[in-house]
Amino acid sequence: MGEVIVVTSGKGGVGKTTTTANVGTGLAKLGMKVVLIDTDIGLRNLDVVMGLENRIVYNLVDVIEGNCKINQAFIKVKGYENFYLLPSAQTRDKTSVTPEQMKELTDRLKESFDYVLIDCPAGIEQGFKNAIAGATRALVVTTPEVSAVRDADRIIGLLEANEITKTELVVNRLRIDMVKRGDMLSCEDVLEILSIDLIGVVPDDENIIVSTNNGVPLVGDSSMAGKAYMNICHRILGEEVPYLDLNKKGGFLSKLFKK
Amino acid sequence: MSSSVKIRGSKHGISVKLDAKATYDDIKKDMASEFRGAGKFLGDEKLAVSFEGYFLTEEQQDELVNIIHQNCDIHIVCIVDSNPEQDKKFQKSVQETMMEFDASTGQFYKGHLRSGQVLEFEHSVIVIGDVNPGASIISKGNIVILGSLRGTAFAGASGKKNCFIVAMDMQPIQLRIADVFARASDNSKGISEPRIAFVNDENIYIEPLTKSVLNDITL
Repeated sequence: MGEVIVVTSGKGGVGKTTTTANVGTGLAKLGMKVVLIDTDIGLRNLDVVMGLENRIVYNLVDVIEGNCKINQAFIKVKGYENFYLLPSAQTRDKTSVTPEQMKELTDRLKESFDYVLIDCPAGIEQGFKNAIAGATRALVVTTPEVSAVRDADRIIGLLEANEITKTELVVNRLRIDMVKRGDMLSCEDVLEILSIDLIGVVPDDENIIVSTNNGVPLVGDSSMAGKAYMNICHRILGEEVPYLDLNKKGGFLSKLFKK
Repeated sequence: MSSSVKIRGSKHGISVKLDAKATYDDIKKDMASEFRGAGKFLGDEKLAVSFEGYFLTEEQQDELVNIIHQNCDIHIVCIVDSNPEQDKKFQKSVQETMMEFDASTGQFYKGHLRSGQVLEFEHSVIVIGDVNPGASIISKGNIVILGSLRGTAFAGASGKKNCFIVAMDMQPIQLRIADVFARASDNSKGISEPRIAFVNDENIYIEPLTKSVLNDITL
């Protein structure tokens, strides 16, 4: 029996989709059976980030409405045995799916996969309710900005209210140079406000933008962000991994810091 | 000579019949002896009292209540004008008076209040956790937060100005006690040590939790 993990944040643009793509790919690299579900109906992105846009025939709404079999909608990710994407519909909206239907779907999927990763849309409305309906675990993504942290706090409260208590935090796009200057919230500041378990810190890395545009997640490569995402995957599996030294010489960040 | 004072008790109060012809001094004397005797039956209940048959000034009423307190264990929580529906009135008055005691009774709440969450309490409350920005905690009594207060706190919500707010880490966005407001100054970083907020002269003051401040607290 697998685990259903929702990747959520409240605020838009903090890196939910990037995190879903990288964590999903990382878990698949570690040999897990993984399926990604994009629940951002009407604003689908995950397929683009995964480089699978041109292969979409059926989507989530087709599956829910019974227009196709679930296997027909799955897009197999190149190079992996058991790694699939269930894309969202672009021409519909969030009301096309109900939380009950989502729960039914994820309950079915977790029987044949180790991890069902759900990419949640921004906001706390219908789309959010759909995304969390079947989840038993949540990754809350935030950036070290007051507004993102505020929204993350609200999301954590809503997750608790929906009895999702295994909630872990990903601090994304941290810039250690700005933290040192006192211009950015530090990881500790964020944790003090949110008081939940930290599962990973991803530094701000321009390689992410390149990889997103190319449609190949960078998880597991030698970039700082690639290492950070791989560490998150290990931690999801329950392994203890030390946190990256973001000051390490030669990295993108320290080059930036020297200027 | 028969007593100038007759006591009749009911569930929520006692009515005291006074002899209209007696002198006030006699009444005082008889009150003391009657209540010394009746106190055993009345125990230490919280009751309302009415005085009938004699015109009493407010000072005299207070004096008689004092005599009752001195001679037995019952607590007179209010004085009611006598009328036919006395018991109902007694009941209501006792309940209303008891409501005002809310500040001294309280409850614990364990957990973090997160953005968008509002908690309201009839009594004082002790929060074991944080109150985050965007969250509010409202109490008719006092609020004690054994964590950080970074949101909004509203003590004395029924209008009691002597209520207070204590936080181990006082960085609120807004404070309100009864009808007095205070907001965080626009550029201060807040104070990361235990503080108490209270009202004095229509202003909210935030002070360290020193002995002298604690001594000034009234419940």
